[in-house]
Amino acid sequence: MSSNVSGNAYALTILSPIKNSYTHEEIAYADVVRECLQGWNMEKNSPMALVPNTYLCRYFVLDDVVNQSLPGAGALDTLSDLLPLVPDWLRRRALPAQDRLQSRYLVFASTFHGDLDTYLRGMWEAIGARIKEVWKYCYGFEQVDSADTFIAYMKRCQLQSALFFVGSNDDALDSQLKALYLKQEFAKFAIDNQGRDATTIRQHMQAFLQRVDPTNLTAPTWPAGKYRLTDEAAS
Amino acid sequence: MSNIAGKSYAMNVISPIRSYTAWLNKFFFWISSKFPSTLKGLITLSIIHYAHWTIVGKNQFPRLHPDQPRETVKYAYMMFFSNFNGSWDQYVDSFTFAIPGGLDMFWKWNIRFPKSVPLTPFHKYIRYNQLETIHYYNATPLAASNDIKSAKAVSNALLDFQQHLSDTSDADFMKRYNALLRGLQHDLGDMYPTPIVSMAAYHVQRRQHGAADKRNKAPHIDEATTTSHGVYDYVE
Repeated sequence: MSSNVSGNAYALTILSPIKNSYTHEEIAYADVVRECLQGWNMEKNSPMALVPNTYLCRYFVLDDVVNQSLPGAGALDTLSDLLPLVPDWLRRRALPAQDRLQSRYLVFASTFHGDLDTYLRGMWEAIGARIKEVWKYCYGFEQVDSADTFIAYMKRCQLQSALFFVGSNDDALDSQLKALYLKQEFAKFAIDNQGRDATTIRQHMQAFLQRVDPTNLTAPTWPAGKYRLTDEAAS
Repeated sequence: MSNIAGKSYAMNVISPIRSYTAWLNKFFFWISSKFPSTLKGLITLSIIHYAHWTIVGKNQFPRLHPDQPRETVKYAYMMFFSNFNGSWDQYVDSFTFAIPGGLDMFWKWNIRFPKSVPLTPFHKYIRYNQLETIHYYNATPLAASNDIKSAKAVSNALLDFQQHLSDTSDADFMKRYNALLRGLQHDLGDMYPTPIVSMAAYHVQRRQHGAADKRNKAPHIDEATTTSHGVYDYVE
């Protein structure tokens, strides 16, 4: 009952177990992974901006699961309120069990356009060296040395989505970026041409359409990860 | 830590669920995916880019090497990943006020889930079960989900308009141009970076302007300079 796909969009969830080892400086591998990802935040733009068709993605380290301890409203909880009549063993049964993970996990969750194999291949080809920086601390990654082995490895780490909701759209990223560029430019055009005569607006519109070239997805457009409105490329 | 990338916030929530009720949750999710009309409430929350739920069974944690210890957890775990616009409170509150029934249906079997109404216990539950993102990337940090949807409308309208550009008189052109603007009046609007600071902002400031700090000069914020990770980019 997996639901990784919605239209042309794909929801990928990866849980890669990090080795229970330490560096020479006695820093846990999981903390090295965390530090490495923190370093990505300090770069001019994310390495993921180079990975084709990534809408949004995130990385974090799962140190442990979250245990529940708040009082509930189940039948056993209610019985435990009748203290001191309720014995201790029954009171303990009313509490949720405490789980502990045996490994820490690198979690990578990405939403992208297209199919999984194409995406992972594009990811490896675009930022293979950066992937190794992070994943080399994980179990099983030592066998990864090509796009094919990377795809196979990621599929072993993949969790199936139970439900995937697309609230935006599932167009290819270059279409989305071109559309955003057109929206921004046309809003400016509409403001700049308010009150002008028909002949002038018509001439300006022809020049505008020639400049923005709506059918050309490659240029002019916004680059992936663009965070400035100035012409300077962000990525 | 960086839960914010431009206009988008990354929420990760992990919560335990008993194995014998996990399949019920999966069944509800399956129904929702097969009958999208059941997600009508979610669609009204137009602040969401993408969201997905994953349930990992107690024996389904990936084990890739004989040296890796086996997991011994007693519960299955539900993971929720969401990308939305606005603040944490706005998002969580909008669930409570807009689709409390649907939300309770998805989380109903999770251990100690307090229900989405009243608000305060629900806030506490989400905060307690939320995990912080370390690195968050957004391909369109300047755009909200509604911007992306409206941009598609603008793009389609311009493509359609372009096809009939050369074969009209000035009067016909103005008629079509005004119709174009009227049709797009809800879709046009400038996009600007949102002034949201993440935890990394302080470090970016120090890295880029260590010299300024030494001179004890306070850096100022340039217009339109939010990084993809939602941090300010300071300039002198």
